[in-house]
Amino acid sequence: MSTFEKVREILAEILDFDKEEIFPDSYLMRELTAESIDLLEVALELSLKFEIEVQDDDIFLRKLRSIILDAGENGLNPVLAIVEKLPHLKQERVEEMLDELNEGPVLKVRDIVSYVEYLC
Amino acid sequence: MNLNFAGKNVLITGGSCGIALALAPLLISEDLFPILTFRNSKGEKKIKESLSGWKGRYDTTFLDFGLPGKMGEIFSKRTDINYMVDLAQGDYETLVASANPDTLSQYMAENIAARAQLVRLVSRSMVRKRFGRMIFVSSVAAGMPGKGQGLYASSKLAAEGIYRNVGLELAARGITTISLRPGYVASGRGDKFIEKNRPALLKKIPGGCFISEATLAKTLVFFLSDTGIAFNGVNLTMDGGMSCGK
Repeated sequence: MSTFEKVREILAEILDFDKEEIFPDSYLMRELTAESIDLLEVALELSLKFEIEVQDDDIFLRKLRSIILDAGENGLNPVLAIVEKLPHLKQERVEEMLDELNEGPVLKVRDIVSYVEYLC
Repeated sequence: MNLNFAGKNVLITGGSCGIALALAPLLISEDLFPILTFRNSKGEKKIKESLSGWKGRYDTTFLDFGLPGKMGEIFSKRTDINYMVDLAQGDYETLVASANPDTLSQYMAENIAARAQLVRLVSRSMVRKRFGRMIFVSSVAAGMPGKGQGLYASSKLAAEGIYRNVGLELAARGITTISLRPGYVASGRGDKFIEKNRPALLKKIPGGCFISEATLAKTLVFFLSDTGIAFNGVNLTMDGGMSCGK
């Protein structure tokens, strides 16, 4: 079973979706309606299933906006600043995120998969 | 009254205090499994002597708020903790302005920050089981401290806030909390204080009596039970009416 399939299984169970409704590009909050308490459960299940120490702030991109703000205040490139702080994200993915930042929370299933694969 | 309990294992912090030792046999008689924490060998010995008739029906584990890095040891005996009764509290009575700066910092770190770490750890384990019940034994002093109780009372208030929010945030996953504020309890440090000031203290309590360890223990059992679970995220005062009027 691939990392995506394992992550999808966890998300389907916790968020009460059919597995077939969850794709790598599904947005966790905007489409899968994940709330804070769901994310807590997701982090706990990922920790257990993959035997990794999940940092909730990192995996759920909670500091994304503050990293961007800090980068702006310090005259740094925000994309590079994000990649440095959240190394599981590829530069192209961060550029995509910044393009759609005003549309709502940008976290996608594939970001969770990237985080898990980065730690495993 | 027959009480039902959805869970089994009860972590009792401050496990060597009189209230914990009164509580543990009541829990055992309800077929629950208390796990009493101790900070040192003296505390462990006291628990074992007091509960010598209940071998195999309870356990002990090390917990010291001064060593938060070792908190994971509470899961060494039983991986599932379904209930927690938090009785641990450091003793430091002084005027705020007189407090030793280092002791003050250490006291707040242990009784607020370390406790928050413990609550975080235990509640995360409860989320996975989608059930948990926590009772923080606060104090009436949290709302009406005496002189010299500033650090004690403020750390109790802070802890109440932590427990309140866990009840607010995790009730949807079956995890509920309350903080209980007993008044004068005839136990441990309270007992000595009562003995010194008995007539003056009794005048303050409309109910005209102090709280015994046994009464408090029975109250805790009720609030742990399925019947008590509707009490969530609140502070309940148990002081014979001492704080209800001037």
